[in-house]
Amino acid sequence: MMHKMSDPDQWIPLYGDILYRYSIGRVRYPDVAEDLVQETLLAALKARENYAGQASEQTWLIGILKHKIIDYFRKVSRDKTQELEDHLIADEDDYFNQQGGWKIDFSQWSQPDKSMEQEQFIKTLQACIDKLPPRMAQLFMLRELDDVKNEEICELMSISTQNNLWVMLSRMRVQLRHCLDINWISQ
Amino acid sequence: MLTCKEVSLLASKKLDEKLTLGERVGFLLHISMCGVCRRYSKEINKVHALMLNVGKNGKSFMSESVKLSKEARERIKVALDKVSH
Repeated sequence: MMHKMSDPDQWIPLYGDILYRYSIGRVRYPDVAEDLVQETLLAALKARENYAGQASEQTWLIGILKHKIIDYFRKVSRDKTQELEDHLIADEDDYFNQQGGWKIDFSQWSQPDKSMEQEQFIKTLQACIDKLPPRMAQLFMLRELDDVKNEEICELMSISTQNNLWVMLSRMRVQLRHCLDINWISQ
Repeated sequence: MLTCKEVSLLASKKLDEKLTLGERVGFLLHISMCGVCRRYSKEINKVHALMLNVGKNGKSFMSESVKLSKEARERIKVALDKVSH
């Protein structure tokens, strides 16, 4: 099925909220998320002729936004202070004792099964992601939500070795799991 | 015998990459005896699967009540008009 392109004047009312939600869910700062929506629509306007109509207009726009978000992550990763953060994250050890045993205890946890519960669960998860250091949150989005490949994550986030990536991902998951344990009320 | 800290790393790595045979044996041996790590591994698996599913459906992961502000709409409209006219 071929899709027709709508009038660009209609893009903001049609897709503004959808693009913004997608963007703010990944970059967390409202002003950055708004800028990314703007850049996306500007890029779309310029690339209008290339739209082949194979994907729906919304899918096409989200595809452009995805690239803009990855470019943004790449740009912030160039910042030198990020390296320091990586060290801090790797060094602090709140979750394991010196013998490498768990310092925290996990309560029995029930998996959300009904869709309403799942929605609530995702809300809790979102709150926990917001508590992660920004770079960890970016990592979460790229790996867990968008399934970006490991090599690509290392490249675009300037992570020097895959081993560092495993350590960062693991710490992120321990932190998230701990936060869910505190905030997700199991029945 | 691997420590819980080492096993937590393998439980996470397992979601992103195939473990080596040695890693797999060490992991399985440990979780056969350690309930906390067994539960931890199971649960991060579930979160991982759930997120991939959310991402695949192109869902925004944010509630419908989150909207682009009026000011931002105006600003973006001005920027678009500048280019198209």
